[in-house]
Formats: sequence, structure tokens, C-alpha cells
Amino acid sequence: MEELLRISELKLNFNTEEGLVEALDGVNLSIKKGFFNGLIGETGCGKSITGLSILKLLDNNAIIEKGEILYNNKNLLGFSEKRMQKEIRGNEIAMIFQDAGSSLNPVFTVQKQLEEAVKMYRKASKKEYREIVIEELKKVSLPDVESLLKKYPHQLSGGMKQRVMIAMMLACKPALLIADEPTTALDVSVQAQFIQVLKNLKERFNMTFLYITHDLAVVNEICDFVSVMYAGRIVEDVSVRELFKNPLHPYTIKLVNSVLTAETRIEDLEEIPGSVPRLINPPKGCRFHPRCDEAMEICQEKIPELIEVNNNHFVACHNRLRGDDFGQ
Amino acid sequence: MDSNLIEVKNLKKYYNSRIGPVKAVDNVNLEIKKGETFGIVGESGCGKTTLMKSILQLIKPTSGEIIFEEIDICQIDKKELRRLRKIMGFVSQDPHASLNPRMTVFDTLSRPLKIHKITRSKEDTIIKIVTLLKEMGLQTEHLIRFPHELSGGQKQRIGIARALAVHPEIIFLDEPTSALDVSVQTKILKLLEKAKKDFDLTYFYISHNINLIKVISDRIGVMYLGKIVEIGRTDIIYNNPKHPYTKGLFKSIPNPDPDKKIEKIYLKGEVPSPVNTPTGCNFRRRCDHASKICEEEEPELKKLDDGREVACHLY
Repeated sequence: MEELLRISELKLNFNTEEGLVEALDGVNLSIKKGFFNGLIGETGCGKSITGLSILKLLDNNAIIEKGEILYNNKNLLGFSEKRMQKEIRGNEIAMIFQDAGSSLNPVFTVQKQLEEAVKMYRKASKKEYREIVIEELKKVSLPDVESLLKKYPHQLSGGMKQRVMIAMMLACKPALLIADEPTTALDVSVQAQFIQVLKNLKERFNMTFLYITHDLAVVNEICDFVSVMYAGRIVEDVSVRELFKNPLHPYTIKLVNSVLTAETRIEDLEEIPGSVPRLINPPKGCRFHPRCDEAMEICQEKIPELIEVNNNHFVACHNRLRGDDFGQ
Repeated sequence: MDSNLIEVKNLKKYYNSRIGPVKAVDNVNLEIKKGETFGIVGESGCGKTTLMKSILQLIKPTSGEIIFEEIDICQIDKKELRRLRKIMGFVSQDPHASLNPRMTVFDTLSRPLKIHKITRSKEDTIIKIVTLLKEMGLQTEHLIRFPHELSGGQKQRIGIARALAVHPEIIFLDEPTSALDVSVQTKILKLLEKAKKDFDLTYFYISHNINLIKVISDRIGVMYLGKIVEIGRTDIIYNNPKHPYTKGLFKSIPNPDPDKKIEKIYLKGEVPSPVNTPTGCNFRRRCDHASKICEEEEPELKKLDDGREVACHLY
């Protein structure tokens, strides 16, 4: 499997009035070419920050302590703002967000906004621009494209706006598309249609996705590989099948168990005691240890490393590294 | 279990707008039985929240009856309504917006106790509130906290505690976990289940999360564009949905089991605007089975052999 982008040992803090927030603490992530790479975790675990740091779209109070983001053998963290804008954002790596409504400009028509995106990376005549835009809109299965061109964002539904955003990204032909909870604001029936659109894109254009979400059911529908995040660290890195069939990290196990299916009974659901730690002065050692049933002494002191325990199955847990309970 | 606690008859709520009436709730009939959890499921804009608020008299319905204790509560005066507020609890979707940011947890929880004269003295109030907090899995130290010092799950537990404080008979829950993470959702669901047993409660639960409604409800109603299209026992409807909308909706649920291949039925298009709804059946433009009769005649809820009711000309 070819790696398109690799994040290694990324450590990122935020300077806030209350203190230093250790948002990312040594994140290792590999994005495999031509696949849907999932990044899952609960609110505040740092999954969006990871996505944003790839494009260096972080607030001023973010301090990158160390780490590398390698893309085509170049470290993006060393790029200047100008170079990011010119070489990376849009044409190499693009991103769509949860709320498509606020990503679109309310005072421009769909046509105008898409043409503007195309113009940034391609030179063509006025007529050609229009054709490119129409072609891109058709790729995302939008009906009645001609009349759509003249519409303003407020005239579109949530699902349509999200598809227009995707079309805008596609127009720039990025190699990697980062999608940050793109279906969270959509209804299930629209979500199902949207997921189908993304799957088609992957198949037809061999695109690579980093799909950030908190919804494990959606992960199963769309992703090939998953990285599970907890409190600023990747705790497990695994194929989707293994995630559901053989999760290893105690957090992942509990997370998978709390997914509701039609067969779930409330009695069977397992609670995770306590709550997500604050990242100002986070717990030492493994950040999950205060909530973990299996915590040992070492967990309070030493940060567990992400180690391959099975073929392409990485886990960061001291318990799993003892070698007695692999893969059962 | 079988006696009706609340009966909703021909409930309508129309809003006026520049382009015509918005039929948010259109001729809804349902019964909530004592001791059950009744779930309403539907997509955004289908009118589920408006339905709930109309039953609670937080919104005045346009027409229809809501029978509780043999009287129509749409017609009662303010004093009687205040008594109802004690019997019918409400937990809203946004735990943050439903708490007053300037009130501590103690103030928030003691207010309903004072208003409904549940406790007689300050000591009583404190004892009552501390017990409630313990039941919610919170500690006494939380009493002096303000909402912004609590996490989303903790805020929602305060919201539930506030509803429970006045010993209601029924609690109306408007997507209480939709703003929360799955692990926190588990906590809230367990808590609600326990409270229901301990206090002999009835729940009216609305959500767009279909699996969640399945897990928690005894009976469900599926809503589409202000109307109930299918209603009946949860297991019956789940195992064999009849209405084309229910079928499509259930098949759209993302599937969390990698071994199970679900054949997808994609619902065409999106929910139309509730202004100028199509004639005849609301759903016909998205329906594969639509025929001439669907265009002309509005389907009514029909009872099938298994006890469920469906509003579709196919049956």
C-alpha cells in the first residue's frame, strides 16, 4: 500500500488564558493512497485539529512543538503560508467541513463560486469555465445542473450545498480530500445519498480521502482503514473489519460497544466510567488510564507507543503489548 | 400498560407565511399509553418537535384536541396549566440553551421545587436535590457550579434531574442525546431507563436516530411532512416496515456491522417544503409505487392485521 501522506510525532499545543492545552500529543497517522482513511473519536479528541494542521489552517495561538507532515517527501510544516496557498491548498489537498452552508458565500451564485475556484488553478475561456463547472457538478450526481448554476446558497438544501462543496473541491483536482464530519448535519436519507456520491468518486477517480467523523456506523459504510483518537493521541490503527470484529484498545472496545444497532438492548450497553480529560494538565502516561478497567501501574507513568501487534493492526496499550492476548 | 394517558385527536398546527400556510403538524392522531415509551421518528422539518410542543401547550395548536384526564387541555386556563406543567416534564435537545447561564445547578434544581411547592423547607430542598444529583451520577460539588463549568453530558443530566424533581407522570424528551457523544449517550440512556422503572414514568421520546428509537421505545410513530405515516408496536414495524417512506428511511441507516450486507433503498430527492405540499399523498413524488390514486386521494391511517396502522394506498 502506497502512503500519500504521513504525520509523524505531531505535537501541538494551544496557548489559552487558562493555560497550555496539549491538543495533539505525538500523533502518528498514515494516509493510504486510493483509500478512505477514517479518523474517529469523540468531541475534543483532536481529530479536526489533525485535519486542519495538515493544511496549516490553525489559529494563531497554536504552537507546533515538534513533528512532521510528509507529503510527496516534503515536510508541509516547513512551508511558508504563501507556499501552502500556492502549492498545496486546493490543488493538492482540499478540505470540506461539517457546515457547508457557512463554507459557501451567500451573495454569489453557485456558478460564480465554482468558477472562482477553477480560475485559481486553471486558465481557460469564459465558456470553458462554465463547461468545467457543469462537468464537476454532474460528477456529484446533482440533478438539473443548468438551473442550479443560477441559484444562491440559501436556495439549496443541506445535502445539495454539501455536494456543491465537493464539486468545488473536485474542480481543483486535489490528490487528497479531507472531509470533516461532512454528513453530521444531514438527515439519514440524504446522508445515504451523499455517502454513495463519495464512494462513486473514489471508484471512478481513485481519490484518497481522510474522513473525520464520530459516527462508527458511517465509518463501516465508507472507510477502509480507521485511526481511533483519544485525548490527542492515536490509540489504535486498524482496518474497518478488524475495528468491529477485533478491537484491541480498551477505549476502542468500549466505543464499538456503545454503537446502537437495531438489535441493541439498553442492558447490554457498556458505560465508559468518568469523562474525557481536560487537555490542560492531562493525565500522565496513557491518557485513558483513569477510565480504564485494565490499568496497571505502568499506564500511569509511561506513554504507550503505537505498535503493530497484528498485520496492519496497531495499538497503543501496555496491556496489549505483553503478548498474551493478541488477536483473540 | 393499556390505559391511555394522553390522547391526541386531529391535532393541527399551521403557521402563516408569505407564501401560504406551513402545515407543521397536519391532522395527527395518537395515544400515549400509561407506562410506555412512545417514540416519534422522522427527519428534520417533519414536525416532530412542533408536535411535542403542541401537546405540551408550549405552542397553541391551530385545532384538535389533547385529552388528558378526560379533559381537553387545549381549553384549560392558566392555573390548570400550571398543574399540568408539574405532571408533564420536558427535556430539550440542547442541554446548554435550556439551562440559565446565571444560575448554579442548585438554583436551577430548586426553582421547580419552590414553584410547585414540592418541598416545605430549605433543608428539605437540599436533601431532595442532593438525592437527585446522586441518582444522576453527579456529586454534591456540582451544586455550586454554573452551566459553563459542566460538560454536555452533565448539563443534560441536570436537565433530566430538573424534569424529575417535581415527580412528573410523563416526560417529553426532545432528542436528549443528539448533541452528545456515543459514550455519553449510553450513560443518559441507562439513566433514563432506570428513572423510568424507579418512578413509574411514561416517556414520549422524539429523535431522528432510528436505531435509538428502536432501542428505547415500545411503540413508534413515523412522521413525514407533518403527518404520521405509520404507527404501531416497535418490533412489528422494524421487522417489516410497510409504508414506502418507512422502508426507505430504515434502509438509509448506516450499518455498523461489517458482516451484514444491507441492500440499500435510496429515497429519491429530499423532503419537500411543508408549504404547498403535493395533493393527495405527501410522499408520492419520492415514491416508487405512486399511482393515480396517490395523486388524487390523501391516504388515511388504516389498521392492518398485526395491529399497526399505515397511511398508504398500497394497503
